[in-house]
Amino acid sequence: MTEKARTTEKARTTARAQAETEREEIGTIRARPGEVLHRPVLAFALAAGALAVLGLAVTGLPTDTAQLPAVARQAMRIALPTWGQTEVVSEVVYGSRGFDTFGETFLLLAAVISVMVLSRGREPRSEYVGESSAGQREQAELDSDGGSSGTDQQQDEARSAERREESEDAAPAELPDDLPLGSRAPDRAQAMTVVVRAAARTAAVFLFVASIYLAAWGFTPGGGFPAGAALTGVAILLYGALGHQRVNRLIRPNLLEPIEVFGAAAIVAIGVLGLVLKGSAFRNFLPLGETGTILAGGSQQLYSGAELLEVATGLTIAVFSLLGMSHDWAGDDSESDSDSGSRSGSDDEGEDET
Amino acid sequence: MIVANYLVAAAVFCLGLLAIMLHRDLIKVVLGLSLMEASGYLMLVSMSYRRHATAPVLVNPPSGQSEQSLVNGNVTDPVLQNFCLTAIVIGVAVTGVFLAIAVRAAQHYRSVDAANLTELHG
Repeated sequence: MTEKARTTEKARTTARAQAETEREEIGTIRARPGEVLHRPVLAFALAAGALAVLGLAVTGLPTDTAQLPAVARQAMRIALPTWGQTEVVSEVVYGSRGFDTFGETFLLLAAVISVMVLSRGREPRSEYVGESSAGQREQAELDSDGGSSGTDQQQDEARSAERREESEDAAPAELPDDLPLGSRAPDRAQAMTVVVRAAARTAAVFLFVASIYLAAWGFTPGGGFPAGAALTGVAILLYGALGHQRVNRLIRPNLLEPIEVFGAAAIVAIGVLGLVLKGSAFRNFLPLGETGTILAGGSQQLYSGAELLEVATGLTIAVFSLLGMSHDWAGDDSESDSDSGSRSGSDDEGEDET
Repeated sequence: MIVANYLVAAAVFCLGLLAIMLHRDLIKVVLGLSLMEASGYLMLVSMSYRRHATAPVLVNPPSGQSEQSLVNGNVTDPVLQNFCLTAIVIGVAVTGVFLAIAVRAAQHYRSVDAANLTELHG
């Protein structure tokens, strides 16, 4: 082998090694969080298997010409004579399958409690969003301790900036509603423009009345669930348009949580009263009013009303707990020290995104 | 053809499953779970459908029918509609809890990638 050939061979080997390294690097880049599809072969195989099994199964389901199942025919038969109920779905929800609804409601309650436990901050709260006063003194003490050591200037700067922001948040000069017309729109974090505020105030009244009507009068009785969800919508609308300062007198933990527990207790009481007075849980124990009026359906109307309280407050608590989760970012100093070694560079990117 | 609805429900379910299996992003996993729940709603409502049927409401029956004929007549299945309502509430509850966990994980690890949640590694 000549000298020239040997050099070429060496160059090729180097190039191959380089290419391999590059390929590995590309592989590493591809394996970075969120970029690649995770175990695609396994996932597609499982999904295809599930599709095949489900496809076979659904062809065996009753077609649209089959007779209704016995339980549905029974519900149709007893709706009017036994429960005084013209809307058979409501009769099933609050009447013949009231126990299912009971389980579902308490599952919702358990979920709301889980969200509350997961989302609560270190200090006791007096409001969900824009929490500004609780724990401020303790935080100041902590901050002054941390500052004296002078180890992390950047952290101190960030903290003081956050404090400035929070103090602005806590004591605005005046509410956006007090500003004269034609002045600049308020900060988005405070409220939206006067047009949106006026529209939201108008819409909220109609939506609120429609929700209550749905629960009280729409195909009476029934409607507690959708009405509760609509009331949560009203709360979110008002919060979005008017800002937290305007809604925090109504939407605060020590008002909503007792109402929610009261709704849950009322549902239990309705079930127990049915059991004690009539021999089976959630059985009607009140006289049936005239069909189609607000008193129709006896205890089902009470059940629906209790559901309204439970669902409206439960969903509102869950939504606002999630909205209020943004503050408790930094861990304890000891925690962040021990974690800092194990954290990779991608952590810093995540901070900005979230 | 109601079988088409069933097949779409099965396909949406598998799409959700695929999203959960393929992605490590916790938010995308929650979205996949919501897709799977939605396929359940479609399935339940489709199963309650009957051809030429009317709603199971015993007020103002369609012309030519009385309330009593409606009881024995052709209506959609009220029990499955009730199940669908129940499923929606449970879906909301599950999504809420998962989102709370995702936010907490993001705050703790500064990442929503499930592969970075390694604190419980042995």
